[in-house]
Amino acid sequence: MASPLISAGEVQWITAGVSFNCRNDGRQREDFRELSAQLGVIAQATGSARVQLGETDVIVGCKAEIGSPDPERPDCGRLVFGVECSPVASPAFRGRGGDELSGELARALERSFYPGPSGRAGGVDLSALSIVSGKTCWVLYVDALLLNIGGNLHDALSVAAKAALADAKIPKVEVVQGEDPTDEPDYEVDDDPQQAQRLDVARVPLCVTVSQIGAHSVVDLTAQEELCSSASVQVAVDASGAVCGLTKRRQKGVDPSVALEMVEVAQRAAAKLHAALADSLAEQQAQQMSVG
Amino acid sequence: MAALEQQPLLTDGHRRDGRAYEEFRNVFLKTGVISQASGSAYAEFNNTKVMVGVYGPRQSERKVGYSEQGRISVDVKLATFATRQRGMFGQTPEERELSALLATALEAATNLASFPKATADVYVLVLEAGGGELGVAATAAALALADAGIEMFDLVTACSVSRAEGALLLDPTVDEAAREEAGLTLALMPACSEVTQLVSRGPWTSSALREAMELAMGGCAQLDALARQVLKTAAAEAAARRQQEQQQLQQAQ
Repeated sequence: MASPLISAGEVQWITAGVSFNCRNDGRQREDFRELSAQLGVIAQATGSARVQLGETDVIVGCKAEIGSPDPERPDCGRLVFGVECSPVASPAFRGRGGDELSGELARALERSFYPGPSGRAGGVDLSALSIVSGKTCWVLYVDALLLNIGGNLHDALSVAAKAALADAKIPKVEVVQGEDPTDEPDYEVDDDPQQAQRLDVARVPLCVTVSQIGAHSVVDLTAQEELCSSASVQVAVDASGAVCGLTKRRQKGVDPSVALEMVEVAQRAAAKLHAALADSLAEQQAQQMSVG
Repeated sequence: MAALEQQPLLTDGHRRDGRAYEEFRNVFLKTGVISQASGSAYAEFNNTKVMVGVYGPRQSERKVGYSEQGRISVDVKLATFATRQRGMFGQTPEERELSALLATALEAATNLASFPKATADVYVLVLEAGGGELGVAATAAALALADAGIEMFDLVTACSVSRAEGALLLDPTVDEAAREEAGLTLALMPACSEVTQLVSRGPWTSSALREAMELAMGGCAQLDALARQVLKTAAAEAAARRQQEQQQLQQAQ
């Protein structure tokens, strides 16, 4: 990705600001920018959300389709993640230019939902998506679109993915077995929205990227600050504070004790982020209830 | 097969393959396995077999553009026969992700300023995926970079740890990893004690994470001793070969 240019003076300014715990926009090192999450922005999707984190703007839509389960986990549904880097956000994404970034982001999302061997350890109970064991299940395609890149894409995406899953209403399916048990069963999808089920997303982790600028750990970098950082760790943290996924990014290595400290910073920041999102979700779902 | 899946991974403090919890598989490392490449290495951890060729540093492709620092471009490919299910031709998203993770692990250890405007291409071929590919590939790739004579701050060694059935297992096999509750892979520059890559899956509490990282760092230190020995042996062999050639030359004159 062609990165915006930054001068040595700007780098020095930002680094010095961070060391005084006062960043360009007045935030402290462990502060997030203002988060806004709107649910149900796309009527065609099973669930959707638009998340704005400062300048960063992403939309996640998830679609539920009936498909077949993974042979290794016959009792579970599947989650499939995709990220589209649209050239709208940056001309560098023209053609196949965004493939690298989109792959990186999608894999990182997937890793934070790592379901474990039982399929129940991840953020979403995948067994709730099963329809007929070993044959059919719901496949949830979680697709993200980047609209504006203002730094810290990854955290914004994880918030948007969680919000979209919280918004998703999975239709009720009834399996109708014909008289002959060897017949293929029929599926009746109930289109009554009152019958549709919501996913339990309480345990879905949120991702916090903690970066080193100078000798300090900083969260929620702007695009400019990202250019001043040499090492960062993406940490997925669930509501209870457990670490659910870790990936190190960028060029420089970090001391093991610093790595653990960065994880702690992420846990602190994630607690606040979880609370902010939960409030926003509860408010909007209450509104939807009163309208519907 | 189904019966084996039901059986526990651990019995009497031993794993299915007879190893203790904190024991590596049989490790074999060798440099200089591809004559065409600037540097190369082969690593075998029982059923995980990885071959790495390093080409360059050579001029960066035009589309990459000017850069004051050198670049490392990593390309990981799993052979189609490497996994239980046949793989695809062409690079899958998983392989691209593996490449990006590996590049991060190597960049910190390489003196990129020593080859401005140029790219070192690191091609990794996984011949057999028996578990812990990322770690094995990072260890082998760092050896190959060293073999290519590219300036490095330190070697990189990496290994995985799985938490399964209540125990922490060093260097898990593919079966152990498939049944883990959580796992991590850590790449370390052992001499300067810097973590260059850290990837984890599944839930970890802070204390368990710390413990697993310590176990992995211990494992990396063990691998580092072996990797250094391999480089020394290779250098001694090369020196002996040169001496012999010179003697032959003198005799011919």
